[in-house]
Amino acid sequence: MKDFEALKNIWHDQITLPKVGHEKVLKKIRKTRNGLSSKLLIEMFGMGIATAVISFVWIDGPFKMWTTHLAMIIFIACCIYYIVVLIDNYRRINYTNLIDKPEDYIIHLKKYKHDRYIFNTRKYSIYSVFLTVGFLLYFVEISMMTPLWVTLVGFVFTLLWIALCYFVLMRIYIKREESKLEDMIQNLERLQKQFEDNDL
Amino acid sequence: MSKEALFKEIFQANSKKIYHLCYGYTGDDETANDLMQETFMKVWQNLDKFRNQALISTWIYRIAVNTCLSHLRIEKRHPKDELTDTIIETKGEEISEKNEQVSALYKCIAQLEENERIIITMVLDEVPYVEIASISGISEGNLRVKIHRIKQKLTELYNRNERF
Repeated sequence: MKDFEALKNIWHDQITLPKVGHEKVLKKIRKTRNGLSSKLLIEMFGMGIATAVISFVWIDGPFKMWTTHLAMIIFIACCIYYIVVLIDNYRRINYTNLIDKPEDYIIHLKKYKHDRYIFNTRKYSIYSVFLTVGFLLYFVEISMMTPLWVTLVGFVFTLLWIALCYFVLMRIYIKREESKLEDMIQNLERLQKQFEDNDL
Repeated sequence: MSKEALFKEIFQANSKKIYHLCYGYTGDDETANDLMQETFMKVWQNLDKFRNQALISTWIYRIAVNTCLSHLRIEKRHPKDELTDTIIETKGEEISEKNEQVSALYKCIAQLEENERIIITMVLDEVPYVEIASISGISEGNLRVKIHRIKQKLTELYNRNERF
């Protein structure tokens, strides 16, 4: 038979300690944001390489027709536009002071999510159209230099790749990104609401 | 004092007790850690409001209580591993005799009503009655009566549990 004092002693003897330190709490909000910014950095790096490769092919290639030069300009312009957008997103997601103001942070995240959605849908459609036009123009000169079947295979393959990116990969990407940002917003909003409800 | 230094100080002074409260409330170590983390996230977000408060621990306890309550409300809508004997018993098999007693104690706490769980974990952690009254929103007189009953209930539960 134990009395309450004995139970109190058992309680104080327990070695069950929290596994979470104060640094971990602070890291938690930053972590999701850093995950997103690393992804943007990788994308930026990839687009940088693509721009360099296209520029090299343009300068070094034996192209004579205006259609090819126009195609190259379109490709490079697309890449530069994409990089500029990524830099802007990177800058926005790394706005560190927001951790001090949860209300502002929620507003910022909502706007960011909306802008990313517009970029991934409407702007990406325009981007895909430009890329397709670019490839169409590019394959004009290629058709003069190679057998018809090579041009056709190259063109069809390129179109299929653009279609795959647009209809499959981009949708998966949007879904993942949206859900990640939505989770962040919902968690912060839930915390905020609970806090207001608590009337503390 | 910088915000981070203040937060660290508050965390170190209160995290253990808040963890005990969350553990007593959920009966699950992992969930208790999550809830404690969520509690301190709210503390961080609202640290500026706390700066001039005398009893910061009271505020933190109230946040923790509300966090636990919100968590259980969600859990009830999506029941998964409800607080079952199995969770505690499985853990009990793995740990020493001393910790078996702690597990048994948590198991008994889990059988109490929600508000009783909150109050008794604070009593066990020796939180002053004035503070418990403020956290739970009960008058000090009523609280004393309540605590007396909960103590009896818990002792009975523990002793009954020990006999079997």
